[in-house]
Amino acid sequence: MSAAVGLNLAVAGLIQGLLIALAGLAVSLCFAVARFPNAATGDFMTFAAYAGVAAQAWTGSLLAGAASAVLLTAGLAVASYVLVFRNFRGRSLVAPLIASIGLAFLLRSVLTFFVGFDQHSFHVPIARAIVFAGARVRPIDLWLAGTSAVTLLAVLAVLFLTPIGRRMRAVADNPELARASGIRARTVMLTLWTLIGACSAVGGVMLGLQTVVVPEMGWNLLLPAFAAAVLGGVGNPTGAVLAGIALGLVQALSTPLVGFTYQTAISFILLIATLVLRPQGLLGRAEPVR
Amino acid sequence: MPVRKWMLTRRVLGQAGAATALAAVVGRPARADRPYRIGALNPITGAGSTYGSGMQKTILFALEEVKRAGGVDGRPIEVYAEDTQTSPDAAVLAARKLIDANKVDAIIGTWSSSVSLAVLPITNEANCLLLHTSSAPALSTPAQNPKHLAWRFQAASHQIGDAYAAIAAHEKASRAAAMAFNNDVQIASVGFFRSAWEKAGGKLPNPVVYEPNRTSYAAELQQALSEKPDFLVVSGYVPDTSIILREAYEAGNTAKIVIPGWAMGPATVKALGAEVLEGLIVVDAVPDAGSAAFKTFDAAYRAATGNPGSSNIYAAMCYDMVAVLTLAMQKAGPSADNAAIAQVIPEVANPPGQAVSSFAEGRKLLQAGQKINYEGASGPIDFDERGDVTPVFGVSVFHDGKLEQRYLLK
Repeated sequence: MSAAVGLNLAVAGLIQGLLIALAGLAVSLCFAVARFPNAATGDFMTFAAYAGVAAQAWTGSLLAGAASAVLLTAGLAVASYVLVFRNFRGRSLVAPLIASIGLAFLLRSVLTFFVGFDQHSFHVPIARAIVFAGARVRPIDLWLAGTSAVTLLAVLAVLFLTPIGRRMRAVADNPELARASGIRARTVMLTLWTLIGACSAVGGVMLGLQTVVVPEMGWNLLLPAFAAAVLGGVGNPTGAVLAGIALGLVQALSTPLVGFTYQTAISFILLIATLVLRPQGLLGRAEPVR
Repeated sequence: MPVRKWMLTRRVLGQAGAATALAAVVGRPARADRPYRIGALNPITGAGSTYGSGMQKTILFALEEVKRAGGVDGRPIEVYAEDTQTSPDAAVLAARKLIDANKVDAIIGTWSSSVSLAVLPITNEANCLLLHTSSAPALSTPAQNPKHLAWRFQAASHQIGDAYAAIAAHEKASRAAAMAFNNDVQIASVGFFRSAWEKAGGKLPNPVVYEPNRTSYAAELQQALSEKPDFLVVSGYVPDTSIILREAYEAGNTAKIVIPGWAMGPATVKALGAEVLEGLIVVDAVPDAGSAAFKTFDAAYRAATGNPGSSNIYAAMCYDMVAVLTLAMQKAGPSADNAAIAQVIPEVANPPGQAVSSFAEGRKLLQAGQKINYEGASGPIDFDERGDVTPVFGVSVFHDGKLEQRYLLK
């Protein structure tokens, strides 16, 4: 493998990793606070991409398209909490998990009913790549990497540096204790679902900009997102972000060894190996037995 | 009163069951009196939906045309329509329903290899004919098609591979390369391209096999372009091909790119624009626009759908399926079973024989005891010993935002 090929693989892996990190963060946030794996995360992303394409076609501006996608998807996430997931509070994680799978199918069916199965795409100027020390970097990749890094940092900042973030972490740690100390679950949950929606939306628009917008795009990213959430330590958002980036990089950099076909398998072998050696994940802590 | 309700339900069920059993015994007259039943199993929804409803409408109007011409002597025909959803699971359920409930004798118009491969064991088991529009090599191997009940109306992978090699020669390529979507059809077609190209004295590095649903194919492209080829075959589907074409442009690629016709649609042009697509070569099986059968098909297709017949090669294939099947039924006689009908399919479709372009023409000649050779709307429809047609490929080039047909490969 020449250095240029390696650099290019690393760039591709980093972009893919940031994308998995966004989806993994949305999954992990939900698991940490609402305590169930949200299988509709992928379809929130798909919805965001379609909303972005529609808003861009309507307004003619990519920025307006992306902003509308974030607002609409945050609204969708909050609505799904109010209408669906709120009713499962206090139940085992199986009930809301099944409900989220149902919601995923419902969202996709409604989407394909109205817009069909044909692919759509964002309108972005297509430019030649910049060659930098042998690595080919597309201008759009720099934008995407920057945007997703800012989004990831912003969500983590909300979580760790603001009062509402502290309350969310308190609920995540111990819901009963949080309630006993007067933390209002309503505000916490509405903020949580807004964050989940916004995170999924940035991921969905980013995926749509990089590839094409099709009904299965988000669903296909769900497995890597779950893998990142598990590898990072279940319910540990920072871990999910790091694990997502690591998964993307490992997949890309294993290519010279295993070829393009088996890179996904390699990342999952790594996942299994990590969990055998460290069952609580990279940053997770062992669940105390009460 | 739940108990009584249950008993009542069971009694009703029992009666229904007995009635069904009786119908099964009494309602199966000798084959000659029984209508020949055709299942039109097409991709109405899913990835094939661009073609599916046109295919199904074509089967219906083609059968209507057969009826107007007097029908098959002694053999009324019934048709049942179903949707494959372009998914093997849904297609298997639909095929089971057609065979078990509707008792069809032939299933026609399955699209996409995964669907046809899933349906084939079911039709074989039921001694049902399967006329399909799929490329996978496995659909016509002796192991998969032991009774010769499956017939391919679309180009097979080896023919597509040969077409790529012929285009490379025509474009005077000196170094070729290939990329394939990771499934057996696409890998097989670039494999056949490689062997045909190397037989002709060219050299081809290992084709790059890529996975679906990746966010970027930049690294795959870089590997495919690493030996600086001037000719690159990209064998995939619409979404991945769109991404690869864009990234090839972004990477400043200078090799001529060739893709199969099914890997691009109107959405590709909208997404990428004229500049990125300039010079792209597209190869596809094309209908023989000058043939009499195509003209008849085209007029009826326009009346049924409002679109030109040339927009749906698979509908043209369905038109030919109906013609070939009904002509074979006419030749085999009213009491023939599917084995006998399958046996005479090459006799009505291949030379030697008087060339005919419709069921009406062929029926008259067959009644007079003459040999016929059906020349269809989607091509000359001549089957080899495995039951595969030899299609005509059209080679088009993207120029100024439009696809222009340049030459034919026969």
